[in-house]
Amino acid sequence: MDASVIATASPSPRKPGLATRLLHPRFYCAALGMALLLVVPLAINSPFLTHVAVTICVFAALSSAWNIMGGYAGQLSLGHAVFYGIGGYGTALLIQHFGLSPWIGMWPAAALAALVGAAIGYPCFRLRGPFFSLATIAFLEVTRLLFIHFDWITGGSAGLIVPLNPGWAWMIFYDKTNYLYIAFGLLVFAVLVAWWIRGSRLGYALTAVREREDAALAAGIDNTGVKLRAVMVSAGLTAVVGAFHAMYLTFLEPATMFSLPTSIEIAMYALIGGLGTVAGPVFGALLVVPLAEAARVWLGASANGLHGFVYGTALVVITLTMPAGLVGTFGRRVTGWLDRLPGGGNLAPALAPPPVARPQGTPGETMLEGRDLVRRFGGLIATNNVSITLKRGEILGVIGPNGAGKTTLFNQLSGFLAPSSGTVTVRGPDGKLVEPRAPDAFARLGVGRTFQIVQPFGKLTVLENIMIGAFMRHADVAEARAVALRTAKLVGLDDVAEVEARNLPIGGLKRLEVARTLATEPSILLLDEVMAGQSQADTQRMVQLIRTIRDSGVSIIAIEHNMHAIMSISDRIVVVDSGRVIAEGEPRAVVQDRAVIEAYLGEDFVDAQGH
Amino acid sequence: MDILVQLIINGILLGSMYAIISVGLTLIFGIVRVVNFAHGELLMVGMYATYLLGAHLGLHPYVAAVPVVVLLFVIGALIQRFVIQPLLGAEEHIQIFATVGLSIALINLALLVFGADLYSLQVPSVHHSLRFSGYSLLVGQAVMLVCAVALVGGLHLFMQTTPLGRAVRATAQNRNAALLMGVPVERIYVFAFGLGAACVGLASALIMPLIPVTPSIGSYFVLTAFVVVVLGGMRSLYGAFLGAMIIGLVDSLSGYYIAPDLKEVVYFAIFIAILIFKPTGLFGLGRGTE
Repeated sequence: MDASVIATASPSPRKPGLATRLLHPRFYCAALGMALLLVVPLAINSPFLTHVAVTICVFAALSSAWNIMGGYAGQLSLGHAVFYGIGGYGTALLIQHFGLSPWIGMWPAAALAALVGAAIGYPCFRLRGPFFSLATIAFLEVTRLLFIHFDWITGGSAGLIVPLNPGWAWMIFYDKTNYLYIAFGLLVFAVLVAWWIRGSRLGYALTAVREREDAALAAGIDNTGVKLRAVMVSAGLTAVVGAFHAMYLTFLEPATMFSLPTSIEIAMYALIGGLGTVAGPVFGALLVVPLAEAARVWLGASANGLHGFVYGTALVVITLTMPAGLVGTFGRRVTGWLDRLPGGGNLAPALAPPPVARPQGTPGETMLEGRDLVRRFGGLIATNNVSITLKRGEILGVIGPNGAGKTTLFNQLSGFLAPSSGTVTVRGPDGKLVEPRAPDAFARLGVGRTFQIVQPFGKLTVLENIMIGAFMRHADVAEARAVALRTAKLVGLDDVAEVEARNLPIGGLKRLEVARTLATEPSILLLDEVMAGQSQADTQRMVQLIRTIRDSGVSIIAIEHNMHAIMSISDRIVVVDSGRVIAEGEPRAVVQDRAVIEAYLGEDFVDAQGH
Repeated sequence: MDILVQLIINGILLGSMYAIISVGLTLIFGIVRVVNFAHGELLMVGMYATYLLGAHLGLHPYVAAVPVVVLLFVIGALIQRFVIQPLLGAEEHIQIFATVGLSIALINLALLVFGADLYSLQVPSVHHSLRFSGYSLLVGQAVMLVCAVALVGGLHLFMQTTPLGRAVRATAQNRNAALLMGVPVERIYVFAFGLGAACVGLASALIMPLIPVTPSIGSYFVLTAFVVVVLGGMRSLYGAFLGAMIIGLVDSLSGYYIAPDLKEVVYFAIFIAILIFKPTGLFGLGRGTE
């Protein structure tokens, strides 16, 4: 390895200050744009316009909150009104029974909504796309029916009137402008939360889980854990906005607080604006809410259903013509323009990556051991009593014909498959041998793996893909970016760092697999056919890279079909056939083994050779 | 005891209504692999069509069933061709939003055209009560049961014995393999969506004389139909039929023994439990939801 690659120190390893960030055009343009939502109604001072502005703020905030779960984490909830209703009812009931100000009452209500969100999410996260949505609808229906049934608490279908004590303490005003101040504040709060999560380690983890669950696990991400965090934030935020909206409407009934159309509306704004983007939900609400409110006022009851018809048609048209939404379609172009304004430019700080800690320990000690591994799939025994040991500092080659069970063995060694019987032990960073259970636990203990069928996060850039791996050891975004950049240089992907991963050719994707895994700074590396599909030159490069990695103290197991390459780099070879280890030893001894030649070329060939 | 038997009879009759609707939903999901959130609105459209044919042309709903089934087949085929087909390669959430959007658009279109009022069709012959040894059922309900059994039996024969049925089954099993064998997969999808919608057309003509139609009638039925389909294991016609019977019984019994306003809570609770604990359906007949 080129020594200069490791020591790329930037001249100013400093994060940009707050002032630099505030003076960036992306920030001040967003702030000015949002401020119009407050300034214009205040200047014109019409009750109708104020009402529209409040409604825009409320739905933009609700949609931003929804987007954290539905967009970032890709869990398409169509029952988010559950949390909205809990926020509203919780706050109103706390006023009614305990005389608690809504400013205080909204927080226990939000906490309850977050808990309910976790309780719904935990069992439902395993459901695929539409079934998750259906389950959320079912929870919404159950909640609404229960709120109607238990009328001694909730007032039932007759509804509940918020006690009308005017004043800031009770969030009840005769002058609607005061509502606008609060609604605008909530919108700013929701957008800030969404923006902060988007750029944080959690945001990247959510994207990773949404795009590729397995690759996320291999990067040490606790899939259920991050989704739970997303749903709790999303539900809590939704409840806070619901609490305010209840004070604004002053009347609550189950049919409107827990309504399916409202839930769909919330999700719709995010889709129209751009799923998973920070600005999307705001633009979606800004575009559609005024249309609907205007139709309601100008056309009155004669056009009952018109705005819904427009909503529904718009939704179908958007999915057919612009599925990425406004921001997804035009966002890059607009931010490109913005960056040319004064103060624009790249915000990503150039940090020197922290040095990689060299794995410490006695050379030759056991790093990873699979003992008596058996794995059955129905009647098929894919792994039949295999024992395999990786020693510190070695490169262990695993070869065998197609269907021999190599990848199944790998999946057990990295926790992606539980063996039917047998154990897998890993030497953790503290030097102790442990038996982890979940794949993300294997990853965090230092077992990095690549996938034979590449698993890129297609919509993220190459650099962001590698960052997902780097986040495992580096919580700070700037630091993870620096580590990712260093890793990209190491594997030769730095010139395509800003390219979306789905545009890479197969050779590049194979190297990206290695890079993402390397960025987790593993002490044990499992490489599954990383040389397949590579050109001659790339293979040479990969061989060099694997040697370099080994020299940095990492112990490696490599599955490979490229015999020449695997024989040249491996210290030891294990040959697997029909789920069994048929030979083990130094490369030279193994290639002359009768059983090995038989497995690859058949008995006749062996006889013809006269062995 | 008498009450229990009557409740079971009611449950089976209710179940046959759900069965006809759910069979259509199962066909669309099992073959096209799209969860049609607008399924209930197809029912609503069929019911208004039956109403118009009955109120203005004086057609008996069972006669109107023929043109309504044809109409719904055409509507379903058009939806598949112009909305679903362009989105088959799209991400799942886009497909969800498309059918959800369709559902909102149709509900509100009905609201614009017909208003929120109830429309009902008075057909005395359907409301004639059949009595035997103390128990009673309406002619309309008995017809529903006969039709549900005939529909599932007919679809079974169609799928198992005709070349088109084989092509449909092949497409449902493995789209690419069917394509390689020369099955015109996209046309099969259009046909399958149409067939699923046509089942709903039959349901709407049978339901119209029993239940008045409103723009939002579909959302009530579609949620129940989803419960049935999940219960039946997602892709199995027989599963859907059995699931419908179970939900009919749950509806009828829990409405009486627990509380009328909580019967939906009971079957939604079953729905959630099945989704979470037994995603291949109650009878393990489907491939599940995970």
